[in-house]
Amino acid sequence: MADCEKNIRAEHHQLLLEAIAQPADLVNYNNQQWELLLRLARRAQLSGYLAARLEKGGMLGSIPLRAANLLHSSLIQAKKQQQSVNWELNRVIWALDGREVPLIVLKGMAYLLLDLPNAAGRIFADLDLLVSKEDLNQIESSLLEKGWQHHALTDYDERYYREWSHEIPALVHPERGVEVDVHHTLSSPLGKLKIDPLPFRKAAVRVQGKDIYVLNPEDMLLHCAVNLFQNNELADDLRHLVDFNEMLQFFIYRQPDVFQQKLIERANQLELGNPLFYSLYFSRLLLRSPVSTDLEQQLDRKPGWIARHVMHYCVPLALLPQHPDQPSKRAVLARLVLYLRSHWLRMPLYRLLPHLTYKFYLSVFPGRSTDTGHNR
Amino acid sequence: MKVAQLSLNELRALLVGPGLRVKAGPFNLSIRTRLPSLIRQLHSLYSRYSLVEEDEIVEFHVQVIPRRSVRRPFARLIQFEVDGRFPFPPVPLEQALATLEWGVNLVIAARINHFLLFHSAAVERNGHVLLLPAWPGSGKTTLSAMLMYHGYRLFSDEFGLMEPQSGEFYPLPRLMPLKNQSIEVVRNRLPEAMLGPEIPGTLKGTVVHICPTQASIEQSDETARPRWIVFPKWSAGAAVRLEPLPQSEAFLLLATNAFNYEVLGKTAFNAVTNLVRGCECRKLVYSDFDEALAVLNALTDG
Repeated sequence: MADCEKNIRAEHHQLLLEAIAQPADLVNYNNQQWELLLRLARRAQLSGYLAARLEKGGMLGSIPLRAANLLHSSLIQAKKQQQSVNWELNRVIWALDGREVPLIVLKGMAYLLLDLPNAAGRIFADLDLLVSKEDLNQIESSLLEKGWQHHALTDYDERYYREWSHEIPALVHPERGVEVDVHHTLSSPLGKLKIDPLPFRKAAVRVQGKDIYVLNPEDMLLHCAVNLFQNNELADDLRHLVDFNEMLQFFIYRQPDVFQQKLIERANQLELGNPLFYSLYFSRLLLRSPVSTDLEQQLDRKPGWIARHVMHYCVPLALLPQHPDQPSKRAVLARLVLYLRSHWLRMPLYRLLPHLTYKFYLSVFPGRSTDTGHNR
Repeated sequence: MKVAQLSLNELRALLVGPGLRVKAGPFNLSIRTRLPSLIRQLHSLYSRYSLVEEDEIVEFHVQVIPRRSVRRPFARLIQFEVDGRFPFPPVPLEQALATLEWGVNLVIAARINHFLLFHSAAVERNGHVLLLPAWPGSGKTTLSAMLMYHGYRLFSDEFGLMEPQSGEFYPLPRLMPLKNQSIEVVRNRLPEAMLGPEIPGTLKGTVVHICPTQASIEQSDETARPRWIVFPKWSAGAAVRLEPLPQSEAFLLLATNAFNYEVLGKTAFNAVTNLVRGCECRKLVYSDFDEALAVLNALTDG
């Protein structure tokens, strides 16, 4: 299946995937290839990632100057954002002022704290934290007290967040503008896939020299997989698959004989076979991940034959950016299918239909929400 | 090859099809649009610009596209698009040119970090750059438009592009939006200037674009080093004054006004420090352009 897919995959997709798989070959790209690649990488939010790889390989001087300048610019931007989020974490710890709230740092900032290979040049603007449900009020009130504010939200959004989502409305300090997303679970409480956050919290590991935690390596990969294939709509989300694959290779390299087995066991224990299956499958299909197909065969839960075929067709069209000058209708359709799927997974139908109707209404009449926004 | 060498039909074919690839200082720009009015405006106002040489990389790909609004079904609206994103809400068709120009500036400000981007006009005389940083109500666009016709080469009315390591400034001579009262001033004082259509009702009021002189555009590859920093302030009825400005104050005004000072961090701090130390810093208050020109000439004569 993978081979025949390769032949029909659009040229611009190949260009981006080759660049990710073989950054050393970038020195041979001609100007035309560079121009398209830069546009695609920007859409996929991977320009900082590519720049970091080229910088590390000492290759920024060996590519066309205009490309190097743009990549260098992205890298500077990414470093600044990383510094800002890092400082936000520092301020959150300060705001908690010694209160016993174990903070588990998620996603981009966690990758940065561990200096994982995908962290270099990674573009992210938010600080994501996981706390227990009991600590939620404590951290929210501590931050509000120290000057953070909720975005102006409509009552509808407020209710969406608090009752149906897995995080409270984002908190932002007006002087710094970095979003702090505080989660108490790792997926929507209404979703079909119930994820108990307790085992994740119990297995979290302390960051060396700091009073904060990150998920353990297996859980970090599973969380990445859940976000990709459970929580998100997958459109232009290739970078999260790149995260998954980079981390997978890195942890395998660090624990060569045991990591893959630990990952499968953990996925089976937490019943997260489906998202892990897709992450492994598409890492291999799109990013030429060297992991063996035997790996996902050991999963207790795997998607069924029909789902696999639909996903095989739709996911690459959604994950990979559209050609900037020749958008394809197939990709639009695939993205719609996955958009509906993600909502279907997150909410039961009786909630989903009114929600999507409301979102559609807002897209036609922006600013005419049922309630006026207010700052809390 | 210059845009002027294209017939209207040839230009239209590019704008509607693969994009008009045109040089803008150190950057290359690709513009696409189907709007007949905008195509005609670009045919005259972009005539002095050079086309990008074949096989060169273009950094920014922008489009101006017609929009329909469910709420205003009969309004003719347009929107600026860059790489699938729409940074501004739709605006009436008449504002297409102004939206295109502001859009391109926004993209430069948002994406470029290999230069330190001062929010400043910049002109060159006697081989050195005179920076005219933004100061609220300074009228830097009007001043740089006037200077451009009085012996100064225009770098930009909006961006001081500085290469932070070398301290070299790069010209970016783009169309300059004259606003409100300054339109009449320029019409009267510079009858030879190439002006665009009057665009009423923009966020900044009525706007008319002035095209940089042919010489400013042709020499846009020639960089220069800065020597003078003058903070201009137009004040009705004021007698002309050119006063020294402490370096510390110049530093703060420049740094807080730069688009990407914070993003560049330490690099920017060092660059602004060196810039201010190497320049003569002044504050200019004026009401009459001829008086301002005389004191600026005296400053930049040596």
